[in-house]
Amino acid sequence: MDLALFGELIINGALVGLMYALAALGIVLVYRTSGLANLAQGAIAMLGGYLGWITIAWLGLHPILGALVAMVVMFAIGLGIERTTLRPLIGQPVIMIIMVTIGLEILMRGLVPGLLGSGVKRLDLGISDAPLFLGDMLINRTYLVSAGIALIIILATLALFNSRIGIMLRAVSDDQTASWSVGIRVEWAIAFAWGLAAVTGTAAGILWGGSQGVDWTLSLLLIKALAIAILGGLDSIVGVVVAGLIVGVAEAIASGLFDPLVGGGTRDIVACVIILATLLVKPEGLFGREHIERV
Amino acid sequence: MGDISTAAAGSPPILSVNNIEVVYDNVFLAVKGVSLDVAEGGVVALLGANGAGKSTTLKAISGLLKPERGAVTRGDIAFRGESLLGLDPPDRVRLGLVHVLEGRRVFEHLTPRENLIAATSMHRDRRGVKDLIDRTFTWFPRLAERAKAKAGYLSGGEQQMLAIGRALMTEPKLLMLDEPSLGLSPLLVDEIFDILRKVNAEAGVAVLLVEQNAAAALDFVDQAYLVDNGRVVMGGAAATVKANPDVQAAYLGGGHQVDYAAVKHYRQRRRWLS
Repeated sequence: MDLALFGELIINGALVGLMYALAALGIVLVYRTSGLANLAQGAIAMLGGYLGWITIAWLGLHPILGALVAMVVMFAIGLGIERTTLRPLIGQPVIMIIMVTIGLEILMRGLVPGLLGSGVKRLDLGISDAPLFLGDMLINRTYLVSAGIALIIILATLALFNSRIGIMLRAVSDDQTASWSVGIRVEWAIAFAWGLAAVTGTAAGILWGGSQGVDWTLSLLLIKALAIAILGGLDSIVGVVVAGLIVGVAEAIASGLFDPLVGGGTRDIVACVIILATLLVKPEGLFGREHIERV
Repeated sequence: MGDISTAAAGSPPILSVNNIEVVYDNVFLAVKGVSLDVAEGGVVALLGANGAGKSTTLKAISGLLKPERGAVTRGDIAFRGESLLGLDPPDRVRLGLVHVLEGRRVFEHLTPRENLIAATSMHRDRRGVKDLIDRTFTWFPRLAERAKAKAGYLSGGEQQMLAIGRALMTEPKLLMLDEPSLGLSPLLVDEIFDILRKVNAEAGVAVLLVEQNAAAALDFVDQAYLVDNGRVVMGGAAATVKANPDVQAAYLGGGHQVDYAAVKHYRQRRRWLS
């Protein structure tokens, strides 16, 4: 294969990977504060994409304003999800919580396209389609802008986690009872994490919807997000970025190399292979939190 | 049971526990009737054997019974004249009482400094938080030396200091400690009690201490209560409690002349009381 094409695959793959990472961030945020698996993140991203379509394409708001409005609404929906479905399950076995988030995912996948129409909706984010050349390599401009926005949001989250509020969120993930004992409102912290997860999911849904169109398939971001969250170590924000790049590039290379041989479709296998391989070889992921054991 | 309140006459107690009963899981009665007072700025110990109900009493006061499915089913707990029942622990912390849990429970993946910052959710003002951190590091200079390490890698003594320092970041009026001497060398226990004495004197923080190490605790406190089988069986000035032959025999080892008759007498009295 010629070098320019290969470079093109890698760069565009990396850009897509950063967008996936944004979706994965929601899983990591929830896991980091509450230790719970958020398997509804795909549907949250999808719902965010639909909301973005409503505010931008339907109400005609400027894409940035529309996206912000959608994110604010989704923050509230994230709080609502925690309050209504997760808080009542405090103290229940983990399997119950996993089932509830999967149930939420399936419910939204069915309900939202059912209400808003299942056809693919065009979402124009105002990013020009004109090709962008880097040497001989053709870079997808939409991907480049989207990846830039994704990276900014991820870095902002990282900064948040080093602020005073972030320290409290991390304290909650370390020891909920001890956090409670020193005055941290643990329920608020967990609700806040769900709100943030919904915001990042929405950003991912809108950016991805801007290049693929908005329909229920946005929720398939869940598989990629899960692969990234697991590979990155479930509670590391840096891990999300690195794992996102790895998954994105691996997908691009796989589809570039194998699609012509087998007739397409290899892209979607990559995430599943990565989940399996991580769990078999290094279940704690690349940047998983070290388990502190004192002697 | 007679009235065994020990609050100094005149000043109203900062904490007043009135004949509480605590039940776990709706069936298991862990505390059957505990009453105690802590005076403003007072230093009080709750002594007793393993499983007597000391920790449960502390959790009832701080509100941390809930995650263990316990509940106060009778009696009342008043802090500065206000009933605490029905308040969540974070609200109680904001009223000015804080509970240092047994087994230290530091945030392992946070640095000592971050551990301290995590306990400042009730403070709005940034400068104030910085001053509080400085104050804590002056009390616990060892923590300042380890400020960059993850708390999970500190020694047991350092973690205990961090847990206490973290609790003090909430600016409490009452500091409750559950077994701070657990697993520490006698030298470290002395060091921690010295610091607590300083905190009590400098910041006027009242201390309610739960200890199995009765000898160390009685040297430190003004007042002590003896809890047995879920009830308070004795209360008074530390010197009085210490001099009591029953306590000598049952909790302080009684030196070389263990008086088995006295132990028997104490056991009988205990049965009569419960």
